[in-house]
Amino acid sequence: MNTVVLVKQVPDTTEVKINPETGTLIRAGVPSIINPYDHFALQTALELKKKHGFKVTLVSMGPGQAKAVLQLGLALGADEAVLLSDMAVAGSDTWATSYALARTVKKIGKADIIFCGMQAIDGDTAQTGPGVAQHLGMAQITFCESVEVDGRRIIVRKQIDGGHEILEAKPPVLLSMVMTKDYVPQYPSFPAVHESLKKPYHVWSAADVEADPQFLGLKGSPTQVSRIYPPPQREKAAMFSGSGQEGVDKILDIMRREHFIGE
Amino acid sequence: MASIDAISRNLMLDSLKDYAKRRIPYDLIRELDAANEFPADILKEMYDPNILGVHLLMIPAEYGGVSGGSFDIYRVCELLARIDLGIATGVFATFLGTDPLNQGGTEEQKAKWLSRIAKEKLLVAYGATEADAGSDLVNLRTRAEHVVKNGKIVGYRITGNKQWISNGGVADLYTILAMAPGGPSWFLVERNMEGFSPNKHEDKHGIRLSNTAGLSLDNVYVPAENLIGLEEGKGLLQAQAVFGYTRLMVAAFGLGCGTEALEVAVRYSQQRVQAGTPLSEKQGYTHKLIVPNAVWLEASRAYIEEVAHKLDAGDHGLQTEGAIAKYSATEAGNRMAEDAIQALGGYGYTKDFPVEKIKRDVKIACIYEGTSEIMEMTIYRGRWQEHLKSRGRYYLDQADQLDQLHAKVPCVGAHAAALALRALGAIMEECRVQKLTRHQHVTFKLGKLIAAAETAACFARTAAAERYSETVRFDKQGWQAMARVYARQTALNIAVEGLALVLGASDQAGSLSDAVNLSAVQAEQKGQLTDMDLVAQKLKQTFKAK
Repeated sequence: MNTVVLVKQVPDTTEVKINPETGTLIRAGVPSIINPYDHFALQTALELKKKHGFKVTLVSMGPGQAKAVLQLGLALGADEAVLLSDMAVAGSDTWATSYALARTVKKIGKADIIFCGMQAIDGDTAQTGPGVAQHLGMAQITFCESVEVDGRRIIVRKQIDGGHEILEAKPPVLLSMVMTKDYVPQYPSFPAVHESLKKPYHVWSAADVEADPQFLGLKGSPTQVSRIYPPPQREKAAMFSGSGQEGVDKILDIMRREHFIGE
Repeated sequence: MASIDAISRNLMLDSLKDYAKRRIPYDLIRELDAANEFPADILKEMYDPNILGVHLLMIPAEYGGVSGGSFDIYRVCELLARIDLGIATGVFATFLGTDPLNQGGTEEQKAKWLSRIAKEKLLVAYGATEADAGSDLVNLRTRAEHVVKNGKIVGYRITGNKQWISNGGVADLYTILAMAPGGPSWFLVERNMEGFSPNKHEDKHGIRLSNTAGLSLDNVYVPAENLIGLEEGKGLLQAQAVFGYTRLMVAAFGLGCGTEALEVAVRYSQQRVQAGTPLSEKQGYTHKLIVPNAVWLEASRAYIEEVAHKLDAGDHGLQTEGAIAKYSATEAGNRMAEDAIQALGGYGYTKDFPVEKIKRDVKIACIYEGTSEIMEMTIYRGRWQEHLKSRGRYYLDQADQLDQLHAKVPCVGAHAAALALRALGAIMEECRVQKLTRHQHVTFKLGKLIAAAETAACFARTAAAERYSETVRFDKQGWQAMARVYARQTALNIAVEGLALVLGASDQAGSLSDAVNLSAVQAEQKGQLTDMDLVAQKLKQTFKAK
């Protein structure tokens, strides 16, 4: 099978702060990383490659420096990588981005399974993956935890409230992955990084993937971000352990101390 | 070797960071530090090409390595030092031990041994130092005698003792410097060779995760093919040829330890509230313990990078530059670690916080690969020759260039750095006229002043660049302020200390205060406090409280 993994380079949000006056992200000196959900999706695809010998092609959209996440994927074992890099896609919302990515996948050719992370940690929309499936007229399963392949059967464990579902699909299908608790992100060894430079790496423009310019960038984006602001900080909740009676007593003590109730 | 592309380099650094996070947490480091234990399993994993293969950086691609350049090695050394300087030293010892082969080995020797080091994850040790031969390798006592068969030299018998050898007790392969009949020469000695035995692991002040041991060689037979370069008498040249480069690695260690200590202190200072405000808001704290060290470290970084780029572009030697880099960065790192303990107060003095260990560790960087005093001497010797050859113009010409830079980019401290260089030139000239360099104190002190002036000049040049290095974590405003603070302080130090040096050694220095342009240096100090305030703010923004 041919698989495609969609990956995004994001700022390490643990280091990002919002400028309270301008409402913009302070990006200076903040390192860029692979979106952690995409990293998980990539590792899922690479495990299937190991088991079944599938081809893994990586796709990303962004400026030249996004090569870093693609090279990481190549060093971890992917076969080929494509970066869609064009000023025409700058400012794209999730709809325009998913259109551009869908065009890129189309250009690559046959994609039996498309893997993507559930969401990117910078925007947290969880819309781009499903959007790609929609543009390609392809089935999709979201909230996937793990994937097995048996012949033409793609068996997926999907996270749902309070449990999970086992679903089966036939290719082509898009799987958007959530991270499992025991997941450990892998990083390549020095020689693997060195070798990754020899693997095919392509930079394509919007014209290369025959994307219609009117559906790209700000022009092709139905949504516009008007403001970014940090959520108001909640005070930390106090947690008590012990028996129910002890807990009740402690809570009553606090309520008395804070004068919510009388002595 | 040219450096690796930036993306690959940073992927390698990310892999190393991730490995350290998972496998070498601070609790484990603390335990090993207390037990004085070398983590052999961790080093072997770090050398495993399927896990990290960190030692492959030193090995050319044709022998199974990744062909790292000086800039790559500097970056990895800095990160290793931030993780633990003991572990860093274990890796460095392999780098250093591999160097005589890289430098002087024949093609066959490189193909055989470098490939083995790469594939078999061999820990290597560099066996040069002896009880009476440290920086002065001429006193080498270890002897290598010919073994002759049918009129042909088939091997050597090596006898002697080595001291303070990093990886000494744990290495698989040793490069040993011994006096052969044709002069000092490097030999490859394997651990299992008869008559070879490592001594006990030293109980050290710091870098306790690094194995340090003496070596005994009792009539060890080494085949002739293990003589590096297959030619006797090249040993000292081969050792000296790489000083520019190996000292840069130790410079990166000083920088790494210092930067780690700085970050810990800056983050802590935002959480610790005293008299109603965090320590990070108090000039008495930041401007004494943090800012001067931060700018010194960044100046050292700029200098290290300039030297690394020169080496990667094919410049050879650079002994004086390597010495300046090492001297500046390790002294800055040592000072920062000392002040970080103070900055954390009682907490800093406990082992629960890492600065106490960093302080014990970083001290070695001022000692090994040539002590700070040897660096002062090396720097002085190198630049004194330049001063004489140029008839006193060496620093004056550089000062002119900095003033030209100042005319274009007036906010990077280039004028202050020019004042520092001119003052230095005047002091050196006065020392020449009055023959003051007959005093060792004068020469060593000149070495110190030279290092400060050259790092200030380099910092100004770097801060004026259109694009900054991938390593700069401050914005332009912050980094330029750092360059200004460092340049002003350096100009003042050179003028005042240089003046005192000459006055102290001679009573004929009446006009020197004009020659060092003391009044201009004083005038240049304007704005220093405002800039220090700005640097303190930028440090806080960059190293936010966790």
